[in-house]
This record gives sequence, structure tokens and C-alpha cells, in this order.
Amino acid sequence: MKYGQLAMTGVAAAAMLVTGCATTPRVREVELDRAPISSKLEPQDVRRTVEKMAESLLSAPGVRESVGGTRPVLDVEPLKNRTTQHVDMVSITDSLRMQLLRSGMFRFVDKSTSGTDIEFMDAQANLGLTDPKKAIKPGQQSAAQMYLTGALSEIKTQVGRTVDQYYKFSMTLKGLRTGELVWADEQEIRKESVKPRMGF
Amino acid sequence: MKRMNALFGMAVLSAALASLTGCVETAGTTVTTDHTTGSTLVLEDSTRLKDQVQIQKVNYDEVNGLKRVHITLLSAKHRRLRLNYRIAWFDANGMEIDPSTKTYRNLILEGRDSVTVTGVANSPAGVTSKLRVRGLESAD
Repeated sequence: MKYGQLAMTGVAAAAMLVTGCATTPRVREVELDRAPISSKLEPQDVRRTVEKMAESLLSAPGVRESVGGTRPVLDVEPLKNRTTQHVDMVSITDSLRMQLLRSGMFRFVDKSTSGTDIEFMDAQANLGLTDPKKAIKPGQQSAAQMYLTGALSEIKTQVGRTVDQYYKFSMTLKGLRTGELVWADEQEIRKESVKPRMGF
Repeated sequence: MKRMNALFGMAVLSAALASLTGCVETAGTTVTTDHTTGSTLVLEDSTRLKDQVQIQKVNYDEVNGLKRVHITLLSAKHRRLRLNYRIAWFDANGMEIDPSTKTYRNLILEGRDSVTVTGVANSPAGVTSKLRVRGLESAD
């Protein structure tokens, strides 16, 4: 009888340990390039795409020919999102610009912050706080000679419990003076997920 | 007493098995190439991966002033292998250049097939490349 009671207590204690009584979620840091956990576009997909595009652009022979040994002024336009998902395209553009900037092959201008430039120049010229000789006057900024643009598109196919998701990043570099496409490349990502037979 | 010993032994064995099943080997194969001297060092730290993938060829060149490396991997298996690889770059002082920008990429290697992976330095200062290959299960 005593042995039976002891065993029952042991089982109950083990059950309590297994089920747990914690209410806070378990959190841990994981590596940036972790294995996929869904068929959606994930951070590691974006990181790989940015790296691949930067490598492709920097090693393309046409880019060096068109710049003729100089460092052209480049603007990176935000990529267009043609998918049904919300994807922060500005963040992708920023990452790409950062990688290209570090290569030292290009000089950069950023059209998206031109409004702030005007505010600064206006303040320097009109508020009376800045030495007029040192105030930056409009009309001296570098002109973009090339711009980088692109888009993200998707094709989703569902057959039964299987969801097949295809993404394509495509990018082009265009010379503003000649209108020629200097470089173009694309990165394809295909993921498959199978829904469980039972579940909510 | 004998029965108790047997039960204790089984419990220890179960605990050992349970702890072993949770282990995933994250060691892999690394290929370090010095682009100034041309020397290549291959380190195979995983016995399992060593039996699956062999380093067949290492080539390097320069494009637009940036170093580039091509490494050919050969599958020793007849089945499809799913791997991860990353190519990092180091300057002349041995310091890694922008480690956060170089990511692990997917690689599917068909049975007995070879695939060439390519990496371009992200800066003209990059003179040494290091390829790291690991099994996909190591990616967590």
C-alpha cells in the first residue's frame, strides 16, 4: 500500500514537472541565418538576397566599363512590393545601399532625405544662427548618374495541404545620361509548407 | 535487489538516450584560401559531413578590384544533400570584414553531383576567404 502511494506521488510530481507552471514564454537568441519556420518571406531570405545582389553588382564587368574607373554617383530607389505580404522594402534598400557603400565603388545620394536637406539649408540661411560665410547654399549637391531600382513579386500555389510559395527579387541599374541598363539580376526563393492533418 | 538494479540501469540508459537525441552537430568543413599566396587549407571537423561532401577544386580570381573565390563541392552520396554554406572575408591583418553581411546560403547537392559556390569580397581589403559548410540540421 505504501509503495503504491509513493509511486502515485512520484507520477503526480513528474506530471507537474512535465506540464510546468510557468506563465512566461521561453525566449532565446537564435542565429540570424536560422532554418525556415514558415513559407513566408523571412529575414534570412532578405539577408541572402541583399548579399547576392551586392556581390552580383560589384562583380559585373559592365558596371566597371560604364563607370570608366571613376566612382559614379548612385541613388537607390526603394524596391516595389508586388506581393500580398507586408515587407519593409525601405529596410531592404537600406541594407543594399550599406553593402555597396562599403565596397567603395560608388558614391551615393539619397533623394528621400532631400526635404531634410532643404530644411537645414533654409534654417542656416534664415535663422541667423549660422555664420553666413559658412552656411551651405542650395545648388551644390552632386547629381545622381545612375539609379538602382527593382521589385519583389510572388506566386502562391496551394494544392490540398501543400502550399508552394515562390518569390522573385529583380533589380536593375540604369545610367541616367544614356538611359542604358548597366546591370540586372534576380534572386528566386521557393518554399513549401505542408499543413498538419489536424489542428486549429 | 537484482530487480532494483535492473530498473536503475534502465533509467540511466533512458536518460542517456534522451540527452543524446537532443544533440545536433554544428561543426562542418572549412576551406581557407589566402589569395595573396594561393595557399588553401581544408579542415574537416565533422566526420559525418566529411563522408558526404568533398572539396574538389578551389579557384580564385579578381573582378573589378575585388577578390573572388570559386569552390567546387562534390557529393559522395547517392541521395540529395541539403547544406548551408557561408563565405567570409578577412583583410591582410586577419580581421573579418563586415561579418554580419555575409550570410549562410542554401545549397542542394544532388547525388554524386558537384556544385561550384562563388563568393566575392565585399571590400578591396579582403585578401583571405573562408568557406564554411554545414548540414542543414545545424541551422536550428
